[in-house]
Amino acid sequence: MEPKEVFDELKTMLVARLKFDPRRAAEVVEATPLPKGVEDSIGLDSLDFIELSIAIEEKFGIVMDESEDLGAHFASFDTLSRFIAGRLGAA
Amino acid sequence: MRPVVVTGLGAVSPFGVGVKPYWAGLAAGACAIRPLTLFDAAAFRCRIAAAVPESPGASPRRSRADGLALGAAGEALDDAGLGRVERREAALIVGAVGGGMLEAEAWYWARAQGERVPSWAAALRSMLPGSHAGTLAHRLGLGGPRHSVVTACSSGAVALAEAAELIADGVVDVALAGGVDAMTRLCFMGFNALKLLDPEPCRPFDRDRRGMSIGEGAAFVVLEAAERAHARGARVYAELAGHGMTTDAFHVTAPQPEGEGMTRAMRAALAVAGLDPRGVGYVNAHGTATPQNDRIEALAIARVFGEGRVLVSSNKSMIGHTMAAAGGLEAVATILALTHELVPPTANLGTPDADVAFDCVPRVAREAAIEHAISNSFGFGGQNVTLLFRRA
Amino acid sequence: MERRAVVVTGVGVVNAAIVGASPALGAWLAAPRPAARVTAHGRPAVRLPEGTLAGLIDPGEARRLSRVCQLTIAAARLATVESGLDPARGLGLVVGSELGDFTSTIAFADGYLARGAAGLSALLFPNTVMNTMAATTAIAVAARELALTLNVPTVAGELAIARGVAAVASGRVDAVLAGGVDEVDPLVEEMLGTLGDRDVRGEGAAFLVLEAESVARARGATTLGRLAGAAWRALPARPWGVGRRSGSRAIEEALAGAALGPPGFVYCSASGDAERDSWEARVLAAALGDATPPAVSLAPLLGQHAGLGALRVAAALWTARAGVLPDDAGGPARRVAGPGLVHGLARGGAHVAVISSAA
Repeated sequence: MEPKEVFDELKTMLVARLKFDPRRAAEVVEATPLPKGVEDSIGLDSLDFIELSIAIEEKFGIVMDESEDLGAHFASFDTLSRFIAGRLGAA
Repeated sequence: MRPVVVTGLGAVSPFGVGVKPYWAGLAAGACAIRPLTLFDAAAFRCRIAAAVPESPGASPRRSRADGLALGAAGEALDDAGLGRVERREAALIVGAVGGGMLEAEAWYWARAQGERVPSWAAALRSMLPGSHAGTLAHRLGLGGPRHSVVTACSSGAVALAEAAELIADGVVDVALAGGVDAMTRLCFMGFNALKLLDPEPCRPFDRDRRGMSIGEGAAFVVLEAAERAHARGARVYAELAGHGMTTDAFHVTAPQPEGEGMTRAMRAALAVAGLDPRGVGYVNAHGTATPQNDRIEALAIARVFGEGRVLVSSNKSMIGHTMAAAGGLEAVATILALTHELVPPTANLGTPDADVAFDCVPRVAREAAIEHAISNSFGFGGQNVTLLFRRA
Repeated sequence: MERRAVVVTGVGVVNAAIVGASPALGAWLAAPRPAARVTAHGRPAVRLPEGTLAGLIDPGEARRLSRVCQLTIAAARLATVESGLDPARGLGLVVGSELGDFTSTIAFADGYLARGAAGLSALLFPNTVMNTMAATTAIAVAARELALTLNVPTVAGELAIARGVAAVASGRVDAVLAGGVDEVDPLVEEMLGTLGDRDVRGEGAAFLVLEAESVARARGATTLGRLAGAAWRALPARPWGVGRRSGSRAIEEALAGAALGPPGFVYCSASGDAERDSWEARVLAAALGDATPPAVSLAPLLGQHAGLGALRVAAALWTARAGVLPDDAGGPARRVAGPGLVHGLARGGAHVAVISSAA
């Protein structure tokens, strides 16, 4: 799966699992940062990240190991899409 | 403000029915966390928990939680030697979260799978957390002011603080207060979803800790105006000399990162007791074994008492996190640590976390004559409670 | 123990008929109209009109808040804004609820039943614990002292007010935001029907800012009235049952604390549950004697919910000021005088009395 397709799936999750307004989800671009407190970010907090990781595990069949520091991969839609695509490619 | 003392103890824990097996288990540093059999846990990463081995007062018409609560509450009242007349005046404060959800879940699961569902009125009547109080008051003849508090994982401790205020303010002379929770699918599933459960028995304050273990149980104490307890010649275990209740107002699940609300709760308890921090020798920690809680709690304890200045241990290493019962069970442990001059250990603690600047009493109980000890309880939503006990 | 006088400096109400602070409540009480009823599972219920919350909660904030949490926050904010209180000076919170966030609890369970462990929502889980309204509201209004959630059948709102009064009167905290909240959920309606519940259920939240009179005066706050006495007790009864005993220490103690003489009117908890309502009437007659003053409950107009218990306390303050007691059966309002008794009695025996008077 290409990072672009992963990105589209992540946008779907924003609405389905993270309860974002569809209009807000439509506004995000690959470069949009994820974590709350970062400029122009979508504003996710620790609980949102857990929800997102459950959704990713379900959708893509990969395991997000919480003992690993995944913070860098969750920086933006771009980094997260590449990380997931990479994990899928490696499998 | 009238002094408030503890004159009766009751516990139903993963070590069994009664205060005796509970204390024996704690003193031995035993671990009651085992594979979960109460319901199917196969779908989850964590499949262990600390269940009560035999449920007292079990009956098809009574929820498991009500059975646990009746066992512990009855023991505390008998232990205090309270007669019928005194019971009629006694306040009842119950800390609860899950209520009779275990039975209600069984009904809902069956219904969702299209199975024929038996009558569920009994399960629904005892489903809400406030329902234990009605059952306890009716069965045990308690006729004073009654209320049920829900503050997530600190509910049991809040119940003791609430009762202490009613007595201190002169509303009642005696109160039965504590917490209860039976294991529920919702709770087990939820903490699994939050990835907060360790697949192995939890290891509070360990460098390699990976999360909590869930437990269940109930604990109640009889609190009494000191004057009245002395007048009737009651045995006094300890004085509940102070308490503090604060709220982080920060996040629905994460504690405030500096432990600000926890610090205020501990300082408030010290202020009520009129005690200098140096007077406290032991902290019975909330100590859930999540990476975040233990680090932040240790930070807050250090801020209040100074690094290394108190012994710190977590009962949850032995009985898991018993949710609304935790504040009650841990209060009983703190009181018994004072009376037996023995600090229960933190089981499963191999390599202490360098961020935890305290002696966490690894694996083996420690003999120590302590004058004052505190018990911390923190709940989701930043609901912080500290209880401060003074040796009788 | 010396008790501090407790005044009310703010009111917030969000339900099917009233949205606003004390002026909105007063306007409705002066000309009360029943909220529209809908039918759910064969039972009539009063639901909040669609879109009510949209105007009260910011959409970004609403994403993570369940409906019942939004109700709570909206009413709590209206009350704190009216009071003009600075929460940084110490604010406690007491939330009374009978049913909590059942809707989220059911949604959380349904996620698992439909899709297994992957269907579990981490976002919903905190809502399955009944303190979720208090936790989110404490954040929204910066309440950093004690934050209690009290759970009891049908009188949780009154109980929350009484507990809040005790916290302020004892001197432990200078200000408490206290009130009640419940929502109507279809499955809950079905459950209540199974249990033989006869109440017409409603939904909504009402919160009051309770303050030590000395503190409120010092900051120049406008006072809506005084809560001169408050007590809660229990009368003997089986769980979910009504009792026989009618002698009440709650009313006695609340009146003794207030020391204002007999009440001139009563806001009671009658809700159409005939057995319980007649028990309450006996309790009131036993406490107040032959001179039992006129009573009203408002439940026929707004539906039974924990918010209503707190709303009655605010309504009693309005009646004490205006000298007018509305009628909830379509009759004319009555002229009344003196302090008012707000009275709650639940199946199972939970019993609350609060004395409201003009400041």
